[in-house]
Amino acid sequence: MREKALHLKNLVKRFGGRTVVDIKDITLGTHGIEGLIGPNGAGKTTLISLITHKVSMDQGQILYYKDRKEIDISKKSLDEISRLGLVRTNQIIQDFESLTIRDSLLLSLATSKQEKFYNIFNEKELRKSTEKEIEKYLDYFHFENPDGHALSAGEKKLLDIIRCMLLKPKFLLMDEPTAGLPQNQTEKVIELMREKTNEEGMSILIVEHDLDLIWKVTENVHFMSEGQILIQGTPDEIRNNKTVITKYMGGCDA
Amino acid sequence: MTLPTFLSSTLVLGLLEAAPLVLAAIGFTLIFRLNGFINVAFAENITLGAYFAVIFNSILGWNFYVSIIPATLLSGLLSVTTYLIIYRPAFRRGVGKTELIILSVGVSYFIRYAARILFGNDLFNFNFSSTSYLKVFGIGVTNIQLICIGLVAVISIGIYFFIYKTNYGEKMRALADNEELAMISGINPTKVSLLIWFIAGSSAGLAGLFYGTFSFVSSSLGWNLILIVIMVTIVGGIGSIRGALVASVFVGIITSAVNLLTTNSLYGEIVLLIIFIGILKIRKARV
Amino acid sequence: MELLLSGYMIYSLSFLLIYIALATILHLQFSITGIVNFGIVGFWGFGMYIFALLQLKLGMPFVLAIVLSCIITGIVSLILGSIILNLDDQAVLVGTLAFATIIEYLTTTEKWATNGVMGLGTIKMPFDFGPVTDLVFFLFILVCLVLLILYTAKLKTSSYGRLLLSIKDNEVLSRSLGKPTFRHKIIFFTFTCMLIGFFGALSAPLYNYIFPRMIGPGITFTIWIALMLGGRTRLLGGMVGVVATVGLFDYFIETVVPIPTEYAEMVPNFKFALYGLMLILILMFRPLGILGDRKREVKR
Repeated sequence: MREKALHLKNLVKRFGGRTVVDIKDITLGTHGIEGLIGPNGAGKTTLISLITHKVSMDQGQILYYKDRKEIDISKKSLDEISRLGLVRTNQIIQDFESLTIRDSLLLSLATSKQEKFYNIFNEKELRKSTEKEIEKYLDYFHFENPDGHALSAGEKKLLDIIRCMLLKPKFLLMDEPTAGLPQNQTEKVIELMREKTNEEGMSILIVEHDLDLIWKVTENVHFMSEGQILIQGTPDEIRNNKTVITKYMGGCDA
Repeated sequence: MTLPTFLSSTLVLGLLEAAPLVLAAIGFTLIFRLNGFINVAFAENITLGAYFAVIFNSILGWNFYVSIIPATLLSGLLSVTTYLIIYRPAFRRGVGKTELIILSVGVSYFIRYAARILFGNDLFNFNFSSTSYLKVFGIGVTNIQLICIGLVAVISIGIYFFIYKTNYGEKMRALADNEELAMISGINPTKVSLLIWFIAGSSAGLAGLFYGTFSFVSSSLGWNLILIVIMVTIVGGIGSIRGALVASVFVGIITSAVNLLTTNSLYGEIVLLIIFIGILKIRKARV
Repeated sequence: MELLLSGYMIYSLSFLLIYIALATILHLQFSITGIVNFGIVGFWGFGMYIFALLQLKLGMPFVLAIVLSCIITGIVSLILGSIILNLDDQAVLVGTLAFATIIEYLTTTEKWATNGVMGLGTIKMPFDFGPVTDLVFFLFILVCLVLLILYTAKLKTSSYGRLLLSIKDNEVLSRSLGKPTFRHKIIFFTFTCMLIGFFGALSAPLYNYIFPRMIGPGITFTIWIALMLGGRTRLLGGMVGVVATVGLFDYFIETVVPIPTEYAEMVPNFKFALYGLMLILILMFRPLGILGDRKREVKR
């Protein structure tokens, strides 16, 4: 167990009359790797978008805990929240068409001090100081052509994950990170997640439909359905829970 | 002048100003709603309406009121032509929304300067067989302006009725909301689009020729108006006929108020443009 | 040699340089950052008029007047940018267009400052080198242009350049990486509009006498067609485009080709009609311009 990362209170989001998210009182981030599961349309991605403020809540409060401080991030902007160490990877593939793979990583690592319109001569220095870290990730995932563009869906997904990892977030929300990845890359992502949470104190919340992965990797699981988080518990507790079985696993997911 | 005089003058002048703007705005808002992009070349639909009327009235010598009919029809035809030759192919080629506006600026310049080549650089005036004046609240109003307002009222109601109460109007709204779904429901997008572009173009042409009666016809007639037309559409709500009407009257009144208070008619424009930038900010979600 | 140094040629080439500079700045704003600035002429004209006013009405020396023109243009663009840069592209386009129109109208209405349609003048060259004064000024503009191009080239390989490109490509994704994109857009927009104002100020001594009708939308349109034609993604796209349009029409056809006077009036009409047609064709068939390839980009 560790210090919680997020406390969601009375969080509600409606889309055109339908209540998509309705969370009364939930604490997240008390374990290294937590899972969020549920049928399609349960509101998982929307919940993540609400937390990072990609989408605005209709009502509620989100409290974020960092360095023993409680920060109300309900009204903070998308980029502010990211800078506070609360980062998410994307379920739908997102990329920068103009940037090569290496460019993308350099973008992640560039600090605001370096990103000034008058500061155009710092390139060599930036590359040198970030070389080790970037090479580590490029090698680890065997990117064939780091000075080219990410072409396949798998490459773009991995790039998305690495960009987020490079930000060294305190709490990382991963939205179906392994969907579309070949098995060996999935293994590597899992290994990376474990390393980060064990050795660097990161907390991760992973949304997944691959239940085997969830049972294997997570220490705590939240089950979400129709906008609400109904049950929380260890992987064993969840997989044997009657409600979860009927609402989710009785169907044909995972 | 006294306050009551100011108010009544503003109201009358405002309505007169607003009348042709209503027509232009209705046409513009229909296209914006249907295709989702700002068609800057719509300015030229307005201008060419006036030029077409010039052909029949000043050059061929027809009666002004008779000239209105072919001028309006030709404007509709021009609009449909630009749709078929330029815009529809552009949609199909995957030209994005932003690029479409830039493209429409190209179309605007092309038509505007082609008109100058054909008609020359000079200004034109309409010939009226007779002009009579009436006094409304102390302001001199010509019979032409009154006919304009009358026509505007009739046409606005007509188009409103068409869009909201008829089958075709329903199809247009369905098409605007979701093209795939509309097509599955059996709506022919081409027929509906052609009709809308024709109506929008005719409306613009009519607006243009009435603007031409205010002073003169020049190639920049529409271009000078287009930003205001866009503003009226945004304020009134994209696709809303009623909104276009109300917003146009609002604009007309502000313009006449500012013009009555200051020496230069450009001040009215400047005030409107400043309000326009403010409206863009406020209506962020809508656009 | 005499033809090369002929006054008119230097005059035309100086303007060509100004246009290339404006196209390069548009490249910075649109191709790199994704800001659809349709009010270029507004900032250019504003810089030009402010500079002229500072010199003529307040008697300021050249350097001070230039610096102040840039600063004042900067302030105005900062205000405009803060209002419109977090809106969508269509709004930025019409917002900047509206701004330029306001500036155009104001130069006519504020007669007390600008002399209205009678124009302002005479704005003299900042130095006097006798017969080579124009040439020296041309070289000065050339140096400024080269610096601008070098800055642009360096920017594209720097961290700031990557940041701007990320904003253009996917602003939300950039923000989710912690980048304060709105702030960056405002700052860069202000900086680049100051550059536009700078070249506007340099245009004043070239024209010698300035009128409101110089600040019509024609210049904005010309710069856009030049950039699109030359290649919006290429650093030198603006240059190629300007030479192919302004160089061709405003210099070559207007001066070298003998046109009978009856048709002289019609030349600008053919020019703009052709520009319009070219813009349509480029956007439909070869969106990346002369220097780019045929591929249609997903965005922009």
